[in-house]
Amino acid sequence: MRAIALMAYNFLRQRRWPVLLLFLWILLTAAVAGDFGRSRPAEGDVVFHAQQQSIYICIFSAFLAADALHTERKSRRILLLLAKAVSRAEYLLAVIAASAAASVAYAIVSALCSIWLGARSILPSGRIWELLPLVIAGTIISASVAVFLSTFLNPYFATASTLAIFCAPILFHAQRHAGWVWLPGFPFLVQFLRFSFKSDWAPNWMSVVATLIESCAFWLLASALFALRDVAVPLE
Amino acid sequence: MSGVLDYTHVTKDYGSPWSRRRVRALDNFSLSLERGEIFGFLGPNGAGKTTAIHLALGFMRPSSGGGQMLGKPFGDAPTRARVGFLAENVALYHLTANKLLRFYGSLSRMRPERLRLRCREVLEQVELEAEADRNVARLSRGMQQRIGLAQALISDPELLVLDEPTSALDPAARAAMRELLLECNRAGKTIFISSHLLSEVELICHRVAVLSKGRLMKLGRTEDLLVSRDRCEIVARGVPPGSFAQSQLSDGRVQFTVATPSQRETLEKIWALGGEVLSVNPMRRTLEDVFLELTNNKEAGA
Repeated sequence: MRAIALMAYNFLRQRRWPVLLLFLWILLTAAVAGDFGRSRPAEGDVVFHAQQQSIYICIFSAFLAADALHTERKSRRILLLLAKAVSRAEYLLAVIAASAAASVAYAIVSALCSIWLGARSILPSGRIWELLPLVIAGTIISASVAVFLSTFLNPYFATASTLAIFCAPILFHAQRHAGWVWLPGFPFLVQFLRFSFKSDWAPNWMSVVATLIESCAFWLLASALFALRDVAVPLE
Repeated sequence: MSGVLDYTHVTKDYGSPWSRRRVRALDNFSLSLERGEIFGFLGPNGAGKTTAIHLALGFMRPSSGGGQMLGKPFGDAPTRARVGFLAENVALYHLTANKLLRFYGSLSRMRPERLRLRCREVLEQVELEAEADRNVARLSRGMQQRIGLAQALISDPELLVLDEPTSALDPAARAAMRELLLECNRAGKTIFISSHLLSEVELICHRVAVLSKGRLMKLGRTEDLLVSRDRCEIVARGVPPGSFAQSQLSDGRVQFTVATPSQRETLEKIWALGGEVLSVNPMRRTLEDVFLELTNNKEAGA
């Protein structure tokens, strides 16, 4: 576990500038939604801000995870990592953990901004706290799917394919089917889009459990596939 | 298979089976490293040296054949804690030397107390203790290479696998690296070096293998390869200059080489001319001569 934590921390440290820039982006969007504190935001604006940020966080997580493997291979730093007592499964878990950790930090900052916006319009902050676990689960599954796809696709295709996998069911109206909860990412997207401060919205905790199981499955699949791949490009 | 590193009929092809651009990097390659030796792995660019090293460390899988490293199949993660690896064109994370070594040491499952001690030791070994708190990105290429070697040594490995370890070093640093490798070898480490610098290999390696286009061309003790069985060198005095083809005269001594089968005939001729034979030795070649002979023959054959 220590090796995984160290590698994850190292990935995060390398990507600290884009993560910090995103924090600024969240603060800016919250400030715009709140009209820079001059007026009370409408309930619709707060809902839109929370929905938008929730989806952005999942995209960000997918992008971070999909890019990690490619960057490490291209820089050849992966060679010294995998030359140590680190299995490929541990390495991928570190990539997923790092991407999810950055996104969780993003989600928390975003939640605090939404709560600030909501408080200005006297909206219940409890709803935002209920949304937060869904967003965190969404980041984990998007990182897992992106890592799985990046083991055999380039980072752009991996990110695009992750988003396509998440969005395709919505385009094909899969919400009509009973088994929709098992589709990766889709349950969150539906819940994010339906999010509201009214009592007709309630988080589906089953989808969080399903997602954690699916994330493990994608990680195992990615590990099995990555074990078959050559990580080194010959210099000669 | 009982060596420290064993390759058994390993073939590695790059490219998909149906691709026209499929390249065979290693062809039925077999090799066994003995414990405690320094082994030199030579070959021109594209010979398959790096591929062979990457296969052993599990970065890639062989198309056929296989092998073992420290008694475990290639790619076994726990076994790599007992192996130190330095890649060609080493790429390091931008951390201070000390933090970087701790990071790599932790990945080799070292305990924090032991790791702290080893960091100091290896930085002293590579003569970079003064740079312990500097970011490696700000160090020279040669210093980075030495930090690369330090991370390979951090877990006190049984086997060191070094891919072009001296390529970025100046002559003084190269000599220091040579001394360090000899010291590691005296401490019982087996060392596997791939290098283009034949003079370096000649100076420290017990055995060498020459690889060309994925095939093992020559394998043997360095001493044996450097001694020619085909020709011998004769030094004599008291013979008229010009008595023997391509002879060199210095201080009244005539020195020339002859084919080994005509050695007896030549010695009799010296005595017949009233000369005295001072020495007869098998001709010594440099590793470069052997290397060029093998690789040129292969190219001519191809």
